[in-house]
Amino acid sequence: MSSADLAADLRAAWAATRKEWRILRRYPGSFLSFIFWPIALPLAFVFQAQAFSGGREDTMAAFTERTGTNEVAGFLFVGWATYMWLSIILWGPGTSLRTEQIRGSLEAIFMTPVSRLVILFGPAVSQLVWAIWIFVVVGVALWIGFGVAIGPLEALRALIVIVVGVPALYAVGALFATIVLRFGDASALVQAVRGLFTALCGMSFPIVVLPDWAETVARTLPPTYLIADLRSVLLNGAQLGSVIGDLGILLLMGAVLSALAVVAFRRTELYARRGGRLAQY
Amino acid sequence: MTIAIEATGLTKDFEKGRRTIWQRLRGEPDRRETFRAVDEIDLRVATGEVFGILGPNGAGKTTTMRMLATLLEPTSGSATVLGHDLVAEAREIRRRLGAVLSGERSVYWKLTARENLEYFAALYHVPPAQTAERIASILEIVKLTDRADDYVEKFSTGMRQRLVLARALLPAPALLLLDEPTVGLDPQAARDLRERVLQLRDEGRTVLLTTHYMEEADQLCDRIAIVDHGRIVALDTPEGLKRALKATEVVRLEIGAPEARDESLIGRLAAGGTVAQRERQNGTLHLTVHCESARELVPLVIDAARAESAAVHNIQVQPVSLEDVFISLTGRALRE
Repeated sequence: MSSADLAADLRAAWAATRKEWRILRRYPGSFLSFIFWPIALPLAFVFQAQAFSGGREDTMAAFTERTGTNEVAGFLFVGWATYMWLSIILWGPGTSLRTEQIRGSLEAIFMTPVSRLVILFGPAVSQLVWAIWIFVVVGVALWIGFGVAIGPLEALRALIVIVVGVPALYAVGALFATIVLRFGDASALVQAVRGLFTALCGMSFPIVVLPDWAETVARTLPPTYLIADLRSVLLNGAQLGSVIGDLGILLLMGAVLSALAVVAFRRTELYARRGGRLAQY
Repeated sequence: MTIAIEATGLTKDFEKGRRTIWQRLRGEPDRRETFRAVDEIDLRVATGEVFGILGPNGAGKTTTMRMLATLLEPTSGSATVLGHDLVAEAREIRRRLGAVLSGERSVYWKLTARENLEYFAALYHVPPAQTAERIASILEIVKLTDRADDYVEKFSTGMRQRLVLARALLPAPALLLLDEPTVGLDPQAARDLRERVLQLRDEGRTVLLTTHYMEEADQLCDRIAIVDHGRIVALDTPEGLKRALKATEVVRLEIGAPEARDESLIGRLAAGGTVAQRERQNGTLHLTVHCESARELVPLVIDAARAESAAVHNIQVQPVSLEDVFISLTGRALRE
């Protein structure tokens, strides 16, 4: 590929992001729905935690020992905010391709000379909008409801962690996108993977409470590192240097999963071009 | 003469039905039937030509277009488009190819016309410095300048189709593929689009279009390939195709007569023309007769009816059309 093609593809990726963002802006209702759930869901777990612990000092001390923080609400809100963003990102690429297929625009896109990587990863940046929105809602809710103030430096560090985590998570979503293109539907698999992440990655608990084998599995999953690092920088005031190892693992996972997604997508495109499936829905 | 499209033995097979994951895992043999949508088509389209593919639904027109648009990989055969191999150099073809394939659904309804074109201009690698100017001039060509900043969801079907054409013009294409471009359009919008196609030819672009509207093919195309069951059954200029029929007029007859008299009635008409199509509906014999002169045939029809104690209900005389060519080649009407 020539440098001119590369530059043109990068411009196309930016255009894809702008297109997604423009369409997103025109459905303001979806932003409103993501005010309610990022608050309601963790709130239920906060009440549950209070009920189970009975507000006793020894139970709080056990919690702090295992999590490194005494902010129960913050711990749960950050965990569930990540879960919600994760759900969007897992569904995002697959539904985006599927929507293009149903709308009839998928063929129009495939007839352009743009790299297939742009088609697959182009909308990724727009997923950051959702991450920022959900974490802003959570931040405001924590501040007003529980007096947990998150400063601008902590927010900036969290944003960097999110940006580092995007490739790995989006690559998992891109793998689902290839399944959607191949089989027309990936909802069962997405639900299964989302369930696995919920059960093992520590959305509402520290993974040290898991059995050894489950903790080992959890350490192979990207959301585990993302959630842990977000909690560290947002709640414990950790510097980026202290989570640099985790960020490196996330980047490595992102590279491996992205390469897998690219290979799978190329094979699926070939399959679709042989069977005429780009226009089928 | 330079060649824009050259296809040799282009063939596309599809599998019928599904092979489940379970069947694959168990290693069961693939028992699906194969359906041949395009059957060894040979095609040469000259640069600057408007070339039509005319045929009924399911004849293989769209599959041929999708292969030439690099969306479908041929099962066998080869083709070059704008000098590039269809499979090995697909990306090079896409740089200089514009296509209207799936109609008005293929634009984003929640974006404005200009935003749609901005997005696709980036996908077509239009240099940023040229994008605004090119979009403005294309919007002018398709007469959407005054609605450029309206959401597409507010557009009529004809306007959306014009926007799809605008998108196809973004790469300044040397070749335009138009698959049934006027389907679903009102008569005025269809007329406008046909005028645009002729303008594009005047600009020196090559246009390959499919249609099942014979008048459209007749009006627009320099040459036409008539396809049926995936094969080209005739290829010539519209006039050449009509001349091959060896008739100048078509007489459509409705004759009330007992069925037993059909053969003898038809036999009496043989001296004046060729019966291309016959059909019985509600006790009436419908005949389509190709002839050199309707003036000579009509008296023959009256005499034949009188002799067979039949009644002539209706006589229509028309010049030969591509529909008649299609009937003579396939034995059935284009819309059947």
